[in-house]
Amino acid sequence: MLSFKFIKEKFIKSLPLVILYFLSLNSFVLVNDIPNVDVFSFNLQMIIIYFYALKFPEYLGFGHVFLIGIFKDVLIGTPLGSTALCYLVLCLVATYLRNVTLRPRLASEWFTFVPALFFSNATYFTIINNFSNLSFYYVELLRVTFFTFLFFPIFYFFLNSHLKLYNKDNA
Amino acid sequence: MAEQRDDLLIALRYALLKKGTKQKFSLFFLIIVSVLVIILDKLSYSYITKTRAVLNDFIYQVAIVTSSPEKFTKYLIDRGIHHYSVYDENNLLKEQNAELKAQLVNNQFLKTENEMLKEALKLSSNKSIEQDVSVIAKVVIDQESPYLKSFLLNKGTSDGVKKGMTVFSDKYLIGTIVEANYLTSRVLLINDLNSKIPVIIQDSNVNAILSGQGVKRRMVLDYLPEQYQLEPGRNIYTSGKDGILAAGIAVGETYYNEKDKIVEVRTLADLDQTLFVQITNGQLR
Repeated sequence: MLSFKFIKEKFIKSLPLVILYFLSLNSFVLVNDIPNVDVFSFNLQMIIIYFYALKFPEYLGFGHVFLIGIFKDVLIGTPLGSTALCYLVLCLVATYLRNVTLRPRLASEWFTFVPALFFSNATYFTIINNFSNLSFYYVELLRVTFFTFLFFPIFYFFLNSHLKLYNKDNA
Repeated sequence: MAEQRDDLLIALRYALLKKGTKQKFSLFFLIIVSVLVIILDKLSYSYITKTRAVLNDFIYQVAIVTSSPEKFTKYLIDRGIHHYSVYDENNLLKEQNAELKAQLVNNQFLKTENEMLKEALKLSSNKSIEQDVSVIAKVVIDQESPYLKSFLLNKGTSDGVKKGMTVFSDKYLIGTIVEANYLTSRVLLINDLNSKIPVIIQDSNVNAILSGQGVKRRMVLDYLPEQYQLEPGRNIYTSGKDGILAAGIAVGETYYNEKDKIVEVRTLADLDQTLFVQITNGQLR
């Protein structure tokens, strides 16, 4: 029989995936809907994917990351598979950093987010430029990337709280 | 040096090939699948296009359901904002109405005069191009994206929508259909960076290309003659030189930007407020 504790545990554990699927299927980006604040728009999905791929990859199946990218491609209208590959490259860099890091710290994880974002966006540029006729809002993408990097510590705190909640329940 | 390179390769190989706990696929496998998907999408064979159309329809339907709470929240916020601006809007509309009534009388005279002159010159009436398809569609998803400015509509090829058709909102051109699935379609908005429309400026013979900027309603006019100064308050119409859009469709207007102290161009339709659109394969009647 399903106990309340079991359901709660499942829910807490799958929360990042639920949020990622929700974000990929929705146009909802909080700051985009507030006039004069939309300049601070950032990519929350990248923060979540990087964080979990770096710290707790078992919470975030790479198959799900692939599917989330496909959903996003279909909804935005970019070449199918481009966002999926971009997210997978982010996971790859995060997994590599996880393997070579001995003592993880917020500062080091924050600054290693820069190469992760760089490789991920470079992959995206390459695909868009070679596999589609789309023009890019380079400045806007740069701005979104910058704020994604800037807001990482804030979400690091929230996502860490989620992990603590899960670990406390399992203790 | 060689040891460092070996360490890097080992770590990278481990990251690519090692399946973590509860991971069904390795990163290497998924990256290969992604690359294959990109290549197959680029090849655009008929069966791939059909499969993609089915996938698009499925994901759009799921997205419509999941985005309904968000749409309801937006609706409530808009209603709240609208409620507080009704009085000012009413006064403005009264002024505009009086002005338009005066213009209407003048236009009716000009129309009659135009028809008389055409008859005298034995010119056939300038009928717009094919108008046999006109579909009313609802905007189901307005995806905020830094890359593409587009709407998803709830009508597709089953309703006669085809790629390349023109889309209007409140009788103003807002974009063209760039993707037609069986149940849904995507319209590329005129404010998108990829949108280029040949236009003519009101009360002049000046031709230009109207390009999107991806920023709300703001647009720019490219290839204007040298030394040409834009004046505020001029409408911008399609020139029809591309052979796709009919001539004379209202697209934008020039206005004076108080903040930057320059004359700029903006779309006539408020794209953020668009809910229903009309899809035609020519100009609106």
